[in-house]
Amino acid sequence: MAAREEVRETEVCIIGAGAAGGIMALELARRGIRVVVLESGPRHDLARRGDYSRRFVKGENPWESPLAGIDRHTTGGSVGYRLEWNRARGVGGSTLHWEGTALRLHTDDFRMRTLHGMAEDWPISYEEIEPYYGKAERALGVAGTPDDPWASPRSTAFPLPPFPMSFSDGFFAGACRKLGIALHHLPQARNSLAYGGRSQCRACGTCHVCPTGAKASTDLTHIPQAEATGHADVVTDATALRLEVDRSSRVRSVVYAGADRRERRLSARIFVVAAGGVETARLLLLSASPDFPRGLANRSGLVGRYFTSHPSIDVTGRVAARVYPYRIGFSTAMSGQFAVPRDRQRRGAFFLEFLNSAGPLPGQIAPVSGAWGTALGQRVKAEFGRTLGIRIYAEQLPDNSNTVTLSTGVTDYFGNPAPHITYGIGPYERAALEGAREVAVKILAALGAEGIRSGALGYAAHQLGTHRMGSDPAQSVVDANLRAHDVPNLYLVGGGCFVTVSASPPTLTIAALAIRTAEHLAEVYRGQGAGRRSHRSGSPAAGAIR
Amino acid sequence: MLTLLLLWRPQRLARLVSRRFKPRLDATAPGVLSTREMETIVAFAAVLVEGRELDAHEASYVVEHVTDKAGKTPGYLALYRKTAGLLDRLAGAPFSSLSLERRIGLMVQHRFTEYDVRIREYLLPWGRETLTVRALAVPDLIRGYYFSPAGWAAVGYRAFPGRCGDLMRYTSAEA
Repeated sequence: MAAREEVRETEVCIIGAGAAGGIMALELARRGIRVVVLESGPRHDLARRGDYSRRFVKGENPWESPLAGIDRHTTGGSVGYRLEWNRARGVGGSTLHWEGTALRLHTDDFRMRTLHGMAEDWPISYEEIEPYYGKAERALGVAGTPDDPWASPRSTAFPLPPFPMSFSDGFFAGACRKLGIALHHLPQARNSLAYGGRSQCRACGTCHVCPTGAKASTDLTHIPQAEATGHADVVTDATALRLEVDRSSRVRSVVYAGADRRERRLSARIFVVAAGGVETARLLLLSASPDFPRGLANRSGLVGRYFTSHPSIDVTGRVAARVYPYRIGFSTAMSGQFAVPRDRQRRGAFFLEFLNSAGPLPGQIAPVSGAWGTALGQRVKAEFGRTLGIRIYAEQLPDNSNTVTLSTGVTDYFGNPAPHITYGIGPYERAALEGAREVAVKILAALGAEGIRSGALGYAAHQLGTHRMGSDPAQSVVDANLRAHDVPNLYLVGGGCFVTVSASPPTLTIAALAIRTAEHLAEVYRGQGAGRRSHRSGSPAAGAIR
Repeated sequence: MLTLLLLWRPQRLARLVSRRFKPRLDATAPGVLSTREMETIVAFAAVLVEGRELDAHEASYVVEHVTDKAGKTPGYLALYRKTAGLLDRLAGAPFSSLSLERRIGLMVQHRFTEYDVRIREYLLPWGRETLTVRALAVPDLIRGYYFSPAGWAAVGYRAFPGRCGDLMRYTSAEA
């Protein structure tokens, strides 16, 4: 592809309009900083979500890109980590399909080296990020109540009341009480009441696609508000292909392309890459230059290393009573009791999510029942809704051999090397899963469940750790403000900056860090007194910095 | 050799036979069924999934499933065509023109209601067409119907994944 001299210019260019990029766009734009967001995917309008929801029910992935090969990737390692259902392109990014679980990390999660002599400490503490958790909860609209006795202190209330426990949670609550396990509400970034101009949840049951917009996603909670400031533009169908640096090792421009594969350039003073743990690392690796022969911002050699997720297993059992599953698409109860285990040197933390949707669906029961006619409906009714399930999410330690690299043989839609994901888990994670499985089995046994079984090992749609933060440029890629050690005008935000991952889903932490970095960036920008550059090449200076 | 395998590892033998002889979808292109073919399939499905005539809504779930599969997934158009053709032939008339009782009788006689096919049946050299319908078309039609709102209605759900409703319903037993 030949680069065309179609150049735009802005103050801050954000690559990716997901959790991190969408939030940063609003945080910067509302401070008067000119932002252009490049988003690889389209706008998935809310009006189309009903159709998306129907497609999802039929087993289709409505977030799948229409560009053939854009999501091509290869895998290695002991566990094949696939991306198909585990990320989404489009304004909103992975918040389009996330489950909405909005948990904070624990105080101890930031000090694994100090407390347990393993992995690394984060360069920031829980106390430093705590106010930003509160801001993130308000921005996304998190429904919850502080009933988790194991949670770290919080300085602000949840902005929304919790979703009540489900009918099936009542079964679990009784069993947990007998066993001395604390069961509590699961904080959710979805509206238990109308909030932020979005409706109350209507129990559509397809949270992978929320047709009402009750689940927080940055295409609804942040991007429109950023655009409304007049300081943010979002360019969709714009995939970043590489970043170009000048002689002083600063990023000068990003080269991007759309479905037509024609290359365009955008220049900016500051670049923020927020493309997710896989694509951010890949973009840096694709941006190798004489100054950065191993990839941009990769003098440490750590870009793409320490790829981490959350190993997961469902444990299910059949009970005599009807438990009425599949009436909402999310869980309402969990236990954080094992989030900070005493023997963390030996096995990882885990948390238990009590599922509101477990067991076979009518469409799965019927064709294996052997029945037909009137008896078929009766058989389905008798079999349905008698399974209880507990999902385990386990902590994974960062492992240098889990990586995102460039594929040597496979290319994407644009002809660039596809990502190659090498992923596996070790004894530490297996011990956590086994410990969690034992607890889950005890709970189900206390309920009198029969046929208790563990499902296959899975992994969460969390792609973390590939541009970890730290104080030492030899041991990390970005600093505590998520600025690349090697490139002064480059910020790498999102789950890739995680040093360790605890057992908790990462999105609330991603959001909190994005707000914190935006505040820092605005301070830097203000301090420099710069930013009076034009929004578009040739237009008058417009970007006054407040 | 087979005897040894049967004695030593019967499940492995079953898997081998199943893999080798179980009817499969061919790779023919997707497409659209004719009206008559669709009527036959709906009349067939009605007996399987409810044992009675379907109302318009229920029939539409079958039509939607069949149209979707035939139009998108290679092999299904041919499977449904084979099914409709076989049923019309066995009926000696459009299958959909038969009364419910005659349809049930015909289906029981030709064992279309026995879709949990025994592995040894895969080895029989005759009745291959019927076997294909029993092994592939029947479970598919049952699956498609019970994945539709009709399946949720069977378990007493008026709202279900894909159909929004009252948020608080999940907190108590179903009425």
